[in-house]
Amino acid sequence: MAATPRSKTRAATAHTGGCLCGAVRFRTTGPLGPVSHCHCTMCRKASGAPVVTFTRVGMSEFAFTKGKPKEYRSSKGGRRGFCAKCGSQLCFMYDAKPDSIGLNVGCFDEPERLKPVRHIYSETMIPWLHMDDGLPRLRNE
Amino acid sequence: MAKTRANSKTQTGGCLCGAVRYRIEGKPHHVGNCHCTMCQKTTGSLFGSFAGFDADHVRFTKGKPKDYRSSKWAARGFCPKCGSTLTYRLVADATQIWLSLGTMDNAGAFTPDQHIFTTTMVPSLRRVKDGLPRYRAFPG
Repeated sequence: MAATPRSKTRAATAHTGGCLCGAVRFRTTGPLGPVSHCHCTMCRKASGAPVVTFTRVGMSEFAFTKGKPKEYRSSKGGRRGFCAKCGSQLCFMYDAKPDSIGLNVGCFDEPERLKPVRHIYSETMIPWLHMDDGLPRLRNE
Repeated sequence: MAKTRANSKTQTGGCLCGAVRYRIEGKPHHVGNCHCTMCQKTTGSLFGSFAGFDADHVRFTKGKPKDYRSSKWAARGFCPKCGSTLTYRLVADATQIWLSLGTMDNAGAFTPDQHIFTTTMVPSLRRVKDGLPRYRAFPG
């Protein structure tokens, strides 16, 4: 009996995702960190989107199951991963946090399962972007 | 400052690392937020925003995007060095090019006036009322 609820929990927290062309695929099994809309200018340039939504997961509960992203060092302490074949933005790694990985929510196979809880770097939010969603707006996290 | 630039006729933009740069003369014929799953995967965001221009109004002043043939009818361009999502083109129509709004130096220069492919718009965005029309496909 004990195994049933546990496997249910596992299924509820497991997620898969990958790039547009399918060359890079990943799987997460553990609980995800807070889902944040990031309005920083670097996320904007990297994605081409007006805002980028991220979450975070522990490396022990994450694996690339096919291929690997190409890395670009976008700042002193951070690297961004993308698919070298199709360019999809996939992940963000802090040098100071090697035990976890930031994941682009748009690359999840079921992004609708991830509920955003906050805005970060809201001081550089694009003026035309109206997201009156009642979520807290943090500045320069 | 931003307002002055938004009203000027020339806009510039490029990828995150600076390997690809472009210049736009003139106004877009369409500006929209796209919620299709392909835009979601490419940008890694919950939606993409693009402005469509006559191709002769856009010039790459440094480098060029690498193209990925994302469907029978379209190619998506990105920076091979840093991966920035830059362009969308219909392969059968070389007279038009779409540029991602996030790569523009003044990302507020062009304001989207519609949401497209809203069948796959995520629920958290669906609930946000911004007054823009929502289309299940590209209305043209």
